Amino acid sequence: MTRADFSYEFPHRHLLSVADLNPLDISQLFERAEHWLQINRTPDKSSDALKGLTLLNLFFEASTRTQGSFEMAGKRLGADVVNFAMSNSSASKGESLSDTARTLAAMKPDIMVVRHPATGAPKFLADRTGLSVVNAGDGMHEHPTQALLDAFTLSRHWGEVGGHRILIVGDILHSRVARSNIGLLNILGAEVRLCAPPTLLPQDVDQWGVDVFHDLDAALEGCDAVMALRQQKERMSGGFVPSEREFFHLFGLTHERLERSSPDVLVMHPGPMNRGVEIHTKLADDPDISVILEQVESGVAVRMAVLELIGRNIRAVHRLEAEA
Amino acid sequence: MTGSIAIINARVIDPANDRDFHGGVLIEDGLIAQVDETIDTTSAEEIIDAKGRILAPALIDLRVAREPGLTPDGETLETLCRGAAAGGIGTMVLAPNAVTPNDRPESLPSFSSETPVRVLTAAGATQGLHGEAMAELGLLSRAGAIYAGCGDQPINDTRTMRRVLAYASHLDLWVSARPADAHLSSDTVALESDWSARLGLPSEPGISERIAIERDASLAELSGGKLLIDRLSTASGLDALRHVRQRDIELASTVAIAHLVLNEIDAGDLDGAFRMTPPLRAETDRMALVEAIANGEINAVVSDHRPTPFDDKGEPFALAVPGTLAIETMLGSLLGLVHDGQLELMDALQVVTSGPADILGLPQGRLSPGTPADLILIDGDVPWVCDPDEFASPRGNSAWAGRRFQGRVLQTIVGGCTIHNYNA
Repeated sequence: MTRADFSYEFPHRHLLSVADLNPLDISQLFERAEHWLQINRTPDKSSDALKGLTLLNLFFEASTRTQGSFEMAGKRLGADVVNFAMSNSSASKGESLSDTARTLAAMKPDIMVVRHPATGAPKFLADRTGLSVVNAGDGMHEHPTQALLDAFTLSRHWGEVGGHRILIVGDILHSRVARSNIGLLNILGAEVRLCAPPTLLPQDVDQWGVDVFHDLDAALEGCDAVMALRQQKERMSGGFVPSEREFFHLFGLTHERLERSSPDVLVMHPGPMNRGVEIHTKLADDPDISVILEQVESGVAVRMAVLELIGRNIRAVHRLEAEA
Repeated sequence: MTGSIAIINARVIDPANDRDFHGGVLIEDGLIAQVDETIDTTSAEEIIDAKGRILAPALIDLRVAREPGLTPDGETLETLCRGAAAGGIGTMVLAPNAVTPNDRPESLPSFSSETPVRVLTAAGATQGLHGEAMAELGLLSRAGAIYAGCGDQPINDTRTMRRVLAYASHLDLWVSARPADAHLSSDTVALESDWSARLGLPSEPGISERIAIERDASLAELSGGKLLIDRLSTASGLDALRHVRQRDIELASTVAIAHLVLNEIDAGDLDGAFRMTPPLRAETDRMALVEAIANGEINAVVSDHRPTPFDDKGEPFALAVPGTLAIETMLGSLLGLVHDGQLELMDALQVVTSGPADILGLPQGRLSPGTPADLILIDGDVPWVCDPDEFASPRGNSAWAGRRFQGRVLQTIVGGCTIHNYNA
């Protein structure tokens, strides 16, 4: 271990974008996530890492798994967790996000976990409130904890994520999961491939450090992991593909098609899954190949690691202020 | 009317007559009486020594948004005029927009001649600006509307657009339309680019403008209407403009000041102040537009001044209400392009004086004897920093907040009356 590596401390008070992280940050997060993952498998899951801190779950879009995962992570770390489902509250009464932010900040929470339909909303809230913010998905922009848990899941299988070939197939255009994953996997030195019809790819996506395919069979060649993404119907206006069955025939993952990939290929899906559209139902349930439920388990552990390291820095700031 | 005023010892710039010389102007009865290298000051009641500073026609701004009357803390006609005067604007046109569609003759604001700045109104081309049923263009024209506009949204239905152009032609009204394909551009907040794709912002491709210009120009050719392309903003749209100009169409084009001095990277931090309609474009688009002005291809530059309440910008970028205050910073922005060597002073002033005047057939905007004495005196060098708190407007949504400018208006004269005096 180098000296710099040894003395490095996770410096962030927010997690807004994977682009803010360097490989050392990521390895620290994974180290702590592994720790929490093992503890989560024991009957004594409680910790006091975040004792006394208040975690605010602020979800402007409906979410079950991400919100539940953050809630569980916060509670297992001993934080007080409060859920605000914003989709049916003050936002619909005409209050601006700026005012909502100031109101909530006045309640003195410590960490806000934010999901919002607009790009940049978590950063906007971080700027306006001064609180620590974790981005739990902003529009079509980023979903950093999902990318971290995906890479963590892979690293538990492979040791290193770097050097492996990973394919993301499906609706890339509307996917914040894809944007965060492309960024993070590039930081980790993986080879990233994308496969989708042209209507579901962002303009000039070939400049993002990825190889772009429209033919799934060619794209699967030699892949070590494949991530299927659902079509984000809620963000679509008009038709991007002719039908779901056509999509399945052209871009759906099946056991047969995976024969072109590496023999130990792993199949991932961030959920919610549309069986028979982007992934064959038998493949999704195949415990030898599918790591979809492992991703969910990793999710809690990774979010605990993120909250723990951010919480540590919040306490450090408070200590400095108290001394000053 | 006022008595005679002589302005002497000025650098007189008159884009309409392509003149740039050391001399002065004599004003009598609110009209320009003499423009020459030496001015006979014997009969003048007031002599203003310009001390070598720039004397030019007052600016004409074809696109300003008015807030509806009684808006709490809103911009009023009084503050709007005060801001315009401070920005060197002598004539401004209140263009229709979603909140003030100007689509009925009785809703057209009537202004007494007391407004210090000349305030004109443009009509909404369709009822409620919905792009469906035509507004009463004949009555609106009689009520004083000087062109028909479509607001921020293009007229989606090609047949309606054809009829609006055809109907407006018998009233000799320009139809001003934003060049955007309704389907490609609906619900978008940014230019389709590497930047917006990475941020996952809903975006429109630049060719949306090209498609709309080709469509609208073809319809103008078919119907004999006069098409005013409202806020051209892309290089792709410029290509289309050059293409359709080869045909026999009455065509003019404006560019908003924001698109000449800002680009999408200014919005890079997702600051709602840079949310605009049309959205800010790539630097290559901006450079192409500046070059088009130097080439004389753009008829007018507009401020597209739009006050919005603070709370409307109290949202993340994509949800912020588009628009920026611009009347007080338009001239400074143009002078910035001149100082940077991107534009000649003559070209920069032409598109905000005789350019817009010639579109609408206004007598002002030039320094010719017998025309209204609408003039500005500019110190081209004085540095200042934009502070929205110092604007006449009670609003603060300026994309130029904190920017440094070089050159400002010292005195604005409309009809021979001084309506703004920086030193006073």
